[in-house]
Amino acid sequence: MIESLENAAQLTALFICLCVAVPRAFTNRSRAWVLLAFFFGSFMLGDLYWQACLIFYEDTPAVSVVSDVSWYASYVFLYMLLREVSPPEKIRKKSFFPYAGPVFAAGMAIFFMQWGKFFSNAVTGALMGLLLYASIIRLLPGNDTGSSRSLSLCVLLFCLAEHAVWTASCFWEYDTLLNPYYWFDIFVSLLFFFFLSAVKKAVKT
Amino acid sequence: MNYIENTYICLAAPLLLAILLLRRDGRRALLFLTAGMTACLLSAYVSSFTAGAIGMDLAMASHEISPVVEELMKSFPLLFYILIFEPRKEHAISATLLTAVGFATFENVCFLTAYGTKDLPRLLIRGFGTGAMHVMCGMAVSVGLYFLWEKIWLRAVGGFALLCFVITYHALFNILVNQTGAAFWIGSAVPLTMMLGYFLFLRKRIILS
Repeated sequence: MIESLENAAQLTALFICLCVAVPRAFTNRSRAWVLLAFFFGSFMLGDLYWQACLIFYEDTPAVSVVSDVSWYASYVFLYMLLREVSPPEKIRKKSFFPYAGPVFAAGMAIFFMQWGKFFSNAVTGALMGLLLYASIIRLLPGNDTGSSRSLSLCVLLFCLAEHAVWTASCFWEYDTLLNPYYWFDIFVSLLFFFFLSAVKKAVKT
Repeated sequence: MNYIENTYICLAAPLLLAILLLRRDGRRALLFLTAGMTACLLSAYVSSFTAGAIGMDLAMASHEISPVVEELMKSFPLLFYILIFEPRKEHAISATLLTAVGFATFENVCFLTAYGTKDLPRLLIRGFGTGAMHVMCGMAVSVGLYFLWEKIWLRAVGGFALLCFVITYHALFNILVNQTGAAFWIGSAVPLTMMLGYFLFLRKRIILS
């Protein structure tokens, strides 16, 4: 019950964000808004597909390729968005610190392989590593990423929260609000609204 | 027994002959319509083979295998066109939409041959619902390509992500139209409503081709 309610809340949050992003994408003809709209759309479709399988077939998808590809697409759109509002040419200062992102994602992917499938965890790990690297390097002091820093921060928090959600789902399975899985998933849902303001800020300047 | 390859030959023959006679835009349009129909035929084979190989029943295959295979097959003509002919953005966008239209047309013809032509309300829902869904998938790819065309890396990575996006949209549609009652009506109405919304509110903002 709690899971369905929480999923419904996340879907509602994504739908609201999508309704804000789509008109802006068409009005401003801005690539950043289009990418954000596709990010919301992909993530929402993945959630919807998963939820539809639970409702109509009372089970998770037998071959979870469809919902997985949708979430992969959302990560790809997010990476493209980050590169769009803060192009790599602006990044002058390099350091070893951003490599902590891919290392962390790879470690977590290996950890999750105990429960999930090898391929899907490997792809998710690679995409998450890419996102973490791209967001951390843009947050390094000295890099001239200006107004897109808040978007980089949102992406970093999103990646960490997603990892927290997956980790929580490995250890806690009880269906009450005391389950940390729900806290992190609600945090992810709230974070979607911050993406809107972060992109607005980045596109304005 | 439904011999879809025979149906395909009957439908594609006049189109193929017309392709020889037409020039430029007309030829390109018919070529992509035929490519869409061919993609539909091939995806029927690949989907049934994959479902049989995995041991999955038809209902499950319709939302777990078919969307992946169909959208991949639909993307091949466009991929070939972009890689070999390096077309202009407008031409690539029309190609995407026409392939989707060809695919939907042939799928509807197969549906007619399988279930007959008596039940008009059902055929209307099927024709417009599935047709709108395939066109919406084509439109999503077109809108994405429209904005991501400038740089090659954006086109490539974005193309992959767009493909993943439409696969899920297609799968969700298949789940809903395979149900009865409200879910079926919602599934059939959503693509049409989205298309109407696009025409009423957003078309003036972006002319695809």
